[in-house]
Amino acid sequence: MLRKEQNDLLTQTGPGTPMGRMFRSYWVPALLAEELPVNECPPVRVKLMSERLIAFRDTDGRYGLIDEFCAHRGVSLWFGRNEECGLRCPYHGWKYDVTGQCIDVPSEPEASGFSKTIKLKSYPLIERGGVLWTYMGPADTQPPLPEWEFATVGPKQTLTTKRIQESNWLQAMEGGIDSSHVSFLHRGDLNSDPLFKGARGNQYNLSDSRPVFEVVESPGGLYIGARRNAEHGHYYWRITQWVMPSFTMIAPRGNHSVHGHFWIPIDDETCWAWSYDYHPIRDLTDAEIGMMREGKGIHVRYVPGSYQPLANKDNDYLINREAQKAGRTFSGVEGIGMQDASLQESMGPIVDRTKENLVSTDNGIIMARHRLLRAVKAFTDKGIVPPGIDAVHQKVRSAAIILPPDQPFKDGAREAMIARPAVAPASV
Amino acid sequence: MLSESSRMSSAAEARFRVQAPNSRPREIAVIAVDTTSDRVVRRLAEGTWNHATFLTAAHITGMASPDAGAGSLMNLSGGTADLAGEVNRVDLVVMVASPGGHANAVAMIGEACSHKRVTTTALVVSAATASDDEVARTLAQLRPWSLMVVIANADDYIEDMLMALRAS
Repeated sequence: MLRKEQNDLLTQTGPGTPMGRMFRSYWVPALLAEELPVNECPPVRVKLMSERLIAFRDTDGRYGLIDEFCAHRGVSLWFGRNEECGLRCPYHGWKYDVTGQCIDVPSEPEASGFSKTIKLKSYPLIERGGVLWTYMGPADTQPPLPEWEFATVGPKQTLTTKRIQESNWLQAMEGGIDSSHVSFLHRGDLNSDPLFKGARGNQYNLSDSRPVFEVVESPGGLYIGARRNAEHGHYYWRITQWVMPSFTMIAPRGNHSVHGHFWIPIDDETCWAWSYDYHPIRDLTDAEIGMMREGKGIHVRYVPGSYQPLANKDNDYLINREAQKAGRTFSGVEGIGMQDASLQESMGPIVDRTKENLVSTDNGIIMARHRLLRAVKAFTDKGIVPPGIDAVHQKVRSAAIILPPDQPFKDGAREAMIARPAVAPASV
Repeated sequence: MLSESSRMSSAAEARFRVQAPNSRPREIAVIAVDTTSDRVVRRLAEGTWNHATFLTAAHITGMASPDAGAGSLMNLSGGTADLAGEVNRVDLVVMVASPGGHANAVAMIGEACSHKRVTTTALVVSAATASDDEVARTLAQLRPWSLMVVIANADDYIEDMLMALRAS
């Protein structure tokens, strides 16, 4: 459980809130590059951390992320004309460049310099790995560009998707580090999902359904190890990475791609669930990409023309009680992503953590909260840079590995948990 | 028309959640198993805890046999405590250890918990400055008897953990 004030502290990320200020220390995914595919394409509404913004790509290919509303009369610039290196409000023609600087006010004499006095709030927006990233903190503390391996490998080696989740970011993220739910909620998918099946490691999962967990602090967040019995008294370890504030990387299976998530607040009651798949040493195959686009693995199928999952709360997640009864899915909801989202959304927009009853296997969640609370206090009180910003914290990997029984996985998998170009992931 | 899932997951519907307690208070025994963790546990015990008992096995310097349980623990006042009785009384046993491999009482405590089907968690404190070898020696003692192991850099984690588990 958390006290109410702790729950509020961690779940509120709007401007001026302590957690909101800390979240704004990081480069975060804002939208997919495919949403702004060409110069002068239509602008896109973006809401992040309770701030309504508009993203556009100008005539010269520069990306802009600026206040959604025209400074004149508050019209949404989503209706704007993207032309001649700026976004022009269709109401009275005020025009803004990618920095939010007003560059034309047709009703005022150009010589008056009036437009120079108008500037909308703006944030940098850069492309990396098919994702457009933004930094929403103070300009003088802008960190180096993101170095996550999925965003820095070759473009054919990686695929990222996103979906709207109608819950606070924290309960979504906590699902990502809650390793003990996998043996239940996702048990039907291990041997059927084409992006998971066939790995030798799956047999350890299936023959030992009661893993023992170890939670170890890492420089950027946590290593969460799930231990199962392997041959000759050794242990099969699946090590998940959590890097603050909301990045996870799940342990790989065989030669399948490596995957994980970012959870980024849209506002306090909704978030973006970002899902990436990549392989450090090979291109993703057309078949793999096709399956990801079809919603396999951790991805979802969409309502056409949106990033709203096809199975969503408006259609009761297309729950199939027959499949549930027959054991094809444990909850009756199809697909790993929506199995998670359906249950996390059912908790309500912001779960009341004063009422929960955590148990020993929830120590990953408890430790993550502990680290977040400690980091936000240090950041707020002393301006200490939180973990997860340093590039070293971002160049990490999850791992699946077999180790002797008395070896700390942090020691035995030390090299495997560092991202190195052209080095194969540790996978079983 | 809204689906049932849409209606029932709204913030407005949260007002109608049953407000009655959904769990009886659970009891936790926190046991220090070496001298470093003994200091951590004594400091922790100075707080107000309604559902946690603090004990120590730091005085056990040799390997304790699993059947040596009776009377082998001590409370923090120096009196003896009956291991089987304590395990019988609680829902969770947290064994607190430090790196270095001095957790000699773990097998004895773990056996008692296993016999009574009581869940065990092991917490390794003061790990930030320890060598891998020191951590490994302690893990070798803890792993056979722990359903969850946590290696924490800061000693204040245990307080947050107990709060999260409703020991306050």
